[in-house]
Amino acid sequence: MAYSDKVVDHFNNPRNMGSFNKDEEGVGTGMVGAPECGDVMKLQIKVQNDRIVDAKFKTFGCGSAIASSSLATEWLKGKTLEEAERIKNTDIVQELNLPPVKIHCSVLAEDAIKAALADYQKKAGSKTGTGSTGTGSVQ
Amino acid sequence: MNQHSPSSGARNVQMARSMCWHCQSEVAGEYFCERCVKVQPVSKETDYFTCLGLPRRLTIDPSVLEAKYYERSRAFHPDFYLNKTEAEQAISLDNAATLNTAYRTLRDPVQRAEYLLDLEAGSVKTIRTSPPADLFEEILNLQDTLDAYRAGDHSSETGRQLRARLEAEREALERRQAEMEGELQRLFVEWDALQDRGEADSQARIERDRLLKRMREILSNRTYVKNIVNDLVATIG
Repeated sequence: MAYSDKVVDHFNNPRNMGSFNKDEEGVGTGMVGAPECGDVMKLQIKVQNDRIVDAKFKTFGCGSAIASSSLATEWLKGKTLEEAERIKNTDIVQELNLPPVKIHCSVLAEDAIKAALADYQKKAGSKTGTGSTGTGSVQ
Repeated sequence: MNQHSPSSGARNVQMARSMCWHCQSEVAGEYFCERCVKVQPVSKETDYFTCLGLPRRLTIDPSVLEAKYYERSRAFHPDFYLNKTEAEQAISLDNAATLNTAYRTLRDPVQRAEYLLDLEAGSVKTIRTSPPADLFEEILNLQDTLDAYRAGDHSSETGRQLRARLEAEREALERRQAEMEGELQRLFVEWDALQDRGEADSQARIERDRLLKRMREILSNRTYVKNIVNDLVATIG
């Protein structure tokens, strides 16, 4: 099976690889794994005023998993939390031209986004001074 | 052609699997019709344990498994059907293939447990376990060390230090993998004991779910650890 050009590009030049300090204010961390194949993905967002100003990832897995998370961080940057919530794994499949056997990699990336958003909301909620009005839909 | 006529063979076979595909008498034997002695297809719904004539238990004596496998192989092997009709050859081939898959799956304790979890709890996804964040963090950090080692000069002082660190990590992870497999074996015993008691009260159900969930957790974590160990072995040999 050959990888699409876009997957190869993300694999060779991963965007936003690295990590933030997870205890830093405004940082949400999503840590997910795929027990079927053993892939591990960490995706982090940095949020200011309900907008994602930066995103980073680290992925241990196949080329498609790396590409999916790399693409996800690219898409996340500049999005509001609500917009980020709407990113679907099918968008990633389409953009990267993932074959059916690699769809689970995009699912993993979507799960990582959701987990990072949830972690951010949890951290923001536990702080008393909730400056923003409402935190969008948590769906 | 009237599909609903009672003599329509193919349809009847589907409706009543205990009916011989050939002579349509009731099949009393396990794989062969007692009346016409034709081989009978192993149903697709037959689980691998049943297929090999074993109870649905996780602790399996390898010699018993092997004996059952050979016994059934002798019944199904396509070589013994060379002079038979095409239909019988096709059935024997299908049966032999199913039997081989069943044997391969049950022979390996990890695959056996994965298979049982599938049978008992549907797909993997239905058992929700929380991801082991510490283990993930460890794997990702280790991957950084691996990258640094791969990119650097192996004969330099830093290279040697990195290698020593990776070797220590590899040993620790292999120990952990062995521990996980040990716990899995203990869970096998607990699972089998629960099945043998055959209770159906709420407490037995809670215990059943706990065992399935714990097995799922260990199998998942083992996959993560195994992956990074493979990577370590491939890099430092």
